[in-house]
Formats: sequence, C-alpha cells, structure tokens
Amino acid sequence: MSEYVGPVAAEMRARLEAAFAPQVLEIHDDSEKHRGHGGYREGGESHFNVTLVSAAFAGQSRVARHRAVHAALGADLMEKIHALALNLSDKP
Amino acid sequence: MSDAQAQIKETVESNDVVLYMKGSKEMPQCGFSSRVAGVLNFIGVDYKDVNVLADEGIRQGIKDFSDWPTIPQLYVKGEFVGGCDIITEMTLSGELDTLFEENGIAFDKSAADKIREANA
Repeated sequence: MSEYVGPVAAEMRARLEAAFAPQVLEIHDDSEKHRGHGGYREGGESHFNVTLVSAAFAGQSRVARHRAVHAALGADLMEKIHALALNLSDKP
Repeated sequence: MSDAQAQIKETVESNDVVLYMKGSKEMPQCGFSSRVAGVLNFIGVDYKDVNVLADEGIRQGIKDFSDWPTIPQLYVKGEFVGGCDIITEMTLSGELDTLFEENGIAFDKSAADKIREANA
C-alpha cells in the first residue's frame, strides 16, 4: 500500500509546487514518531518533514529559504502544523 | 513596541548568545529545543536560555520578533541565526564554528568536530 496522503499534506504539496516549481518535493508525515509527545493528535498530520529542491532558493540564505516556505504555506496551514522540519536546497 | 518586544530586544542585545527554547538548558521540554541546547552544551558555549513556556507573552512575542513561527530560536550578538534545522545544518557544515569565531564567542572546537565525526 502506498503512503497515505492526508488533506494537510495534500494542501502543502499544492502550495509548495505552485510557489517553487520544485525539482524534488518530499513530504513525510512524522506524526507517529511523536505519539504521546507535545502537539501530537489522533489522525496525524501534526509533524512533517519536507525536502524541497528548487532553483528559486539559489543565492538565498538559510533563514530566507525557510521564511519563503513559511510564507508559501500560509498562516492558516502553518497554524495546523505543530512541527515542520525543512531540508531546503537549490541543487539536488 | 510592546513590553515583550522591548524585553526580547534587551535580552538579545545584552547577551552574546541567547537560546529561546521550551524548557531550560538543563531540562529541555521539546525534542527540537533539546537538540540545539544539546549542541551548545556539548561544545561548551556560554549562553543564556529563555524558557518560553514560563511566559506566554514571550512565547508569542519571540515569533513576531524575528518573523519566525517556531521555537527554538538562536541569537548571536543580537542577530537571529535560525531554528533547529538551521543550527543542525550549520553545526555539521562548520558554519556555526565560523559564526562563533567571527563573533569572538568561546567554544570547544574539538567537541564540535566530534559531533561532525559522529554524523559523517
């Protein structure tokens, strides 16, 4: 069975693809690793790990790349996510 | 400027290295805060820890201060450096060493090398 994609992950993918035209975009729901810890909720979609490669990041500092992703996801989506680990680069 | 913003500004400007975190450096209460505090503790940096769980105004205020939505947040000489992912990347790449060296912050480089060896 392929990995289940929840509604939050699907919306994240749509917004990140629109903003960055990524060469690589991997979105993993790590919520089960955090079961019983702060921010965990039944059904998951609270803790994500995202790898995104986009030429749009060329020449940008690490902080600028992270801020660009936060902005692309939007305040409404960021509020739903308890933890977001980002691995961002301009080259694969 | 609100009280929280003024207080944060004063704290990051009067301490060379400040970590806003959940819990304390001795007892972190979140895995992400724990990882960054663990690096700073291990490489022997003298830093001020601020527990955001102890003050709701600071907890929200620090997110607005640097337009950064998450905790932990590391500041060096008043400048925002990054959160858990960025500090981890900078530790492994050696950029954190460079940042401390350029700012005259004492730390144990051999300990930093040990972290890199363990993750090579």
